[in-house]
Amino acid sequence: MNDNIWILTSADSIAIATTLILAALGALFTERSGVLNLGIEGVMLTSAISAFLAADASGSIWLGLIIGSIVGAIMAAIHAVLSVVFRANQIVAGLALVIFGTGLANFLGKPAEGKTVTTVILPLSFGPLSDIPVIGPIVFGQDIVTYFALFIAIVSSLFLFRTRPGLELRATGDDPATVDAQGLSVAYIRIRYTFIGGLLVGLGGSWLMLAQSAAWHQASTTNGLGWIALALVVFAGWRPNRIIFGAVLFGFTLQLPFTLQAEQITIIPSAFMQMLPYLATLIALIALSRPGGRNLLGAPKALGTPFVRDER
Amino acid sequence: MNDTSHEVAQGSHHLGGVAPTALSAHNIVKRFPGVLANDNVDFDVRAGEVHTLLGENGAGKSTLAAILCGLYQPDSGYLLRNGKPMHLSSPRAGLQHGIAMVHQHFRLVDRFTVSENVILGSRDLGFRLNRKEINEQVAAVAESFGLPIDPNAVVGELSVGQRQRVEIVKALYQGAEILLLDEPTAVLVPAEVEKLFDNVHSMTKAGKSIVFISHKLGEVVEISDRVTVLRNGRVTGHVSGKGTTDTRELARLMVGRDIELNAQRATHPIGHEVLQIRNLSLSINEVEVLSDVSFNIHAGEMVGIAGVAGNGQRELADTIAGLISPASGSITISGAMTTDRGPIQAREVGLAYVPEDRLGMGLVPSMSILDNLLLTRDRKVIVDRTSIRPEASRLIDQFEIKANGPDHLARKLSGGNAQKVLLARELSGGRSATKLLVVCSPTRGLDVGAIETVRSLLNDARSAGQAILLISEDLDEVMSLADRILVLYRGAVVHETPGATASLSTVGAAMAGLLENGGV
Amino acid sequence: MRLPIRVVFDQRGEAPKRLTALVPIVSVLAALFFGAIFLLATGYSPIDTYTNMFSDGFASSRGVTDTLALSTVLICTGIAAAFAFQMNIYNIGGEGQLYLGMIGGAWAGITLGDHLPSLIMVPLVLIFGALAGALWIFVPAFVRSRLGTSEIVSTLLLTYVASSLIDYVIYTPDSFFRNPNTSFPQGRLVSASAKLQSFGDTRLYPTIFVAIILAVVLYWVVKRTEFGYRINVIADSPKAAHYAGINAKRTTMSVMLISGALAGLGGAMLIVGPYGKIEPSIVNLGYGYAGIVIAALARNNLAAIVVSGILFAGLRVGGEKLQISTDTPIHIGVMLQGAILLFALGGEAFRRYKIRVVLVRAVTT
Repeated sequence: MNDNIWILTSADSIAIATTLILAALGALFTERSGVLNLGIEGVMLTSAISAFLAADASGSIWLGLIIGSIVGAIMAAIHAVLSVVFRANQIVAGLALVIFGTGLANFLGKPAEGKTVTTVILPLSFGPLSDIPVIGPIVFGQDIVTYFALFIAIVSSLFLFRTRPGLELRATGDDPATVDAQGLSVAYIRIRYTFIGGLLVGLGGSWLMLAQSAAWHQASTTNGLGWIALALVVFAGWRPNRIIFGAVLFGFTLQLPFTLQAEQITIIPSAFMQMLPYLATLIALIALSRPGGRNLLGAPKALGTPFVRDER
Repeated sequence: MNDTSHEVAQGSHHLGGVAPTALSAHNIVKRFPGVLANDNVDFDVRAGEVHTLLGENGAGKSTLAAILCGLYQPDSGYLLRNGKPMHLSSPRAGLQHGIAMVHQHFRLVDRFTVSENVILGSRDLGFRLNRKEINEQVAAVAESFGLPIDPNAVVGELSVGQRQRVEIVKALYQGAEILLLDEPTAVLVPAEVEKLFDNVHSMTKAGKSIVFISHKLGEVVEISDRVTVLRNGRVTGHVSGKGTTDTRELARLMVGRDIELNAQRATHPIGHEVLQIRNLSLSINEVEVLSDVSFNIHAGEMVGIAGVAGNGQRELADTIAGLISPASGSITISGAMTTDRGPIQAREVGLAYVPEDRLGMGLVPSMSILDNLLLTRDRKVIVDRTSIRPEASRLIDQFEIKANGPDHLARKLSGGNAQKVLLARELSGGRSATKLLVVCSPTRGLDVGAIETVRSLLNDARSAGQAILLISEDLDEVMSLADRILVLYRGAVVHETPGATASLSTVGAAMAGLLENGGV
Repeated sequence: MRLPIRVVFDQRGEAPKRLTALVPIVSVLAALFFGAIFLLATGYSPIDTYTNMFSDGFASSRGVTDTLALSTVLICTGIAAAFAFQMNIYNIGGEGQLYLGMIGGAWAGITLGDHLPSLIMVPLVLIFGALAGALWIFVPAFVRSRLGTSEIVSTLLLTYVASSLIDYVIYTPDSFFRNPNTSFPQGRLVSASAKLQSFGDTRLYPTIFVAIILAVVLYWVVKRTEFGYRINVIADSPKAAHYAGINAKRTTMSVMLISGALAGLGGAMLIVGPYGKIEPSIVNLGYGYAGIVIAALARNNLAAIVVSGILFAGLRVGGEKLQISTDTPIHIGVMLQGAILLFALGGEAFRRYKIRVVLVRAVTT
């Protein structure tokens, strides 16, 4: 067995983790405001194809990332309008977004089938640092979006717990009536962070497309990463810094089957290896549950409940 | 228009030597679907005074307060601040004019610390929060008004009185000149009420105006410089001058007629033992909620449990009703052990339970009256609605429930009618004839008429020989109804006294935990 | 940021009857209009597309029977979703439970076949399919009722696992479920006695009656039985259920298992009906996800699902025929599903609230 494959797997898991970090952070901001957007998978998929088409048409990866992120935000805005303005059932609205996003992405993706993006996002060069054994490829072998994702995760943590808007965001998810009584607009805060969340999810989806997949595979482009991101938020107890850790862990289980396949290690059938990340997520989710234990985990108390000012 | 209204505002209460009017409301009208909550109401408060809004539940005082602080906008009428017209589009606008409301249900985030709660919504702070600086600021504001509080304490872990203090500190921190206190004493024990009144005095001395909202006559007379009485959305009278106020007159203005909520106790011999509780202890999340509680109730007897909210009353009721399993101890209803057997077994030996939470626990809001009557009965495999329909109609008539018949949805009932449906079901027996009735806060939030009805229903049940456990945070209610009073403090019975000879001060002291070693 | 207008929502006591019917119709129309914009933007003619879809889905005899044929499985996944949704349990893994229903049904159809008559075999296949669907939701149901683990994420994650499982049983050489006689990987046929005859030369099978009867029976169960009463109490207020001594854990567990069984039954109906074997392309059809939309459109009313299921099937059939006859991508159908649901959700607000836009007076100080 090649010793390098573990290093490569680790390096690649961090790459997958980038998508997860961005998508989970997006979900986290949304959920911290009290909005449960289950449509992450659909948002990611739509962003991915938009990024692909934009990059393909313009030849610019960066334009692809920007367009993809904006499309993500627009998709999330649909959810925000339905759940905040129209007070729709947030769960059904999220599911509708998944179905709508999947159909839309596949529809838009028709001309993209069989094409590949000519340029992909390349890892940054750190010169000799990247050549350090083991650490080199893992720490210094990533592209700028990965470093950006890590940066955003750390900044998000500071934002949530060390700033005034962060305080207001946390309060909105926990106790919207109190925020309302302070004269802050619950609706505006929720729409804003659902939108920002969509931006991050969109960036995650776009990056996945342009740096990872580089070819459009319809719905299997994201292949449930959006759902794993949602579980990751629970796993991280709604704390941004813990998302990094969880994302790397999930990234590893996601990458493992590919590495093993590439190395032609076939102790376990590949179909079972493909189940691994989903089963791992499920087990993590169950392990974190306990009766009435939502609050112990730090779930926003008003998560998923529309806010209606109590006017008799 | 502004000029004349200015004059009216100044002229109406301008007596020699008093402070200028800080805030006034004129011809306020506010309508909710089906209710005229404020009907042409005038109100004003001067700097450095306590002006009380007195009225029964539903009289419109909370609505007026909500308009004064910007939470609601009036349908017509206008507000003046220091004689200048203002429009409050939100509570934030109210704050900008120095007006803040301390809500009855605290608007605090449980998971936040005291200082995080105090600064929430404050616009003067920058983007970054400097915890140390903020803690110092908050502590300074608190101390300057004699309201000591730990800025780092987590609000969810504070007592009710302390939380109220946080609310007040928050209003002061945000620069409030006029504080609206909505039923501030409803949740406090007598000792805490005194502390609150001290704080109110130190605030008025510093020139703050207090609008005090209450329906309790005694305390109103004690604290107020002036009183405005509301009834059915209209002002029915103004009374000024501290100490000179006639409570009887206030009561008449408030209720609209002379009423006597007289004590009425068992007039017939008390029968055999129906409920026996022995050494009941209970812990929830490793916190002791009930500790070694023992008492009994006889047929035709009403035992009242007094205590400040959160001292184990609700858990006691739930445990007796079979909803919670105790850690140790036993419950016997009419000779049958029901400990740990669940609610259905308890009901089969004669338990009936009216929980504090009417709509949502006692009644299913989206179901009809008919289906709600079935909630605690044996429903068979295929629910038989036809045979219970006549009984439902009969109960609606008998209990004078205002509804369009048995298919009326529970959530469309008024508070009083919902409570009547609940009592109708529980008193009429389900799985067996009712022998023991457990009632929690049976009159909370009801209007005067409904309160009278509910209390007389309880009295009738007692006269009919049912054993009743009355759990209420309304001390007056317990004092005037119960044959025997137990005080629950931190999950333990700390005081027991016959209702007829109970003294308010002793019971109050027990509720505050000043009689830890047991009274009688 | 403050706009000079405020949107005021006044809750209606009772939703007007005409709105109850109008909202779904308007949602469909709005979604079609919305889809038209996309079609135009991508160079297709919306009018041609829609007329073709309509005539293929509803207006030809072939279209009608195809629509009814497809609605058979969609009604199953629809009631599967709605049965759980009505208790605020969001089983969105109907897709995976459907796959397992196929696997379970195929297993019974292959193993038990030959000796037994059709009259016994067909029900056995259906029962095994339902059992497999229930089995697939067992873990989510167990942890949801005991530990409160979100069934939304758990059922969905298992769908991905189920999809890999389908791959495994078909693409693995020597797999029990793989047809040993073809080199191209495809499912092994169940025995002839496990297959039903279709009506004439249509693709419609008698299982449609099973689906419709099931929808009506379950509707009755919810309205009239003790079990239904419990579901209604828990759905509205779990505290009231606790108060009344209703065992919410057991009811939750039963409801989820039934929901999974219904989706599994849908999968088994594909075995006794059109396929007769495990069809790996099922993973691209999204019948389970469509059930969610169908349930939401019918507002979780189990009897109304028959109508929304058939409506939806028509939309799909029209969309699929389109794919064959023109080059309009099939995905427009899925996108329209999502759009219809989104518009229906928005429209729901108009049903529940009287919505007014009021001008906020300018502050004059």
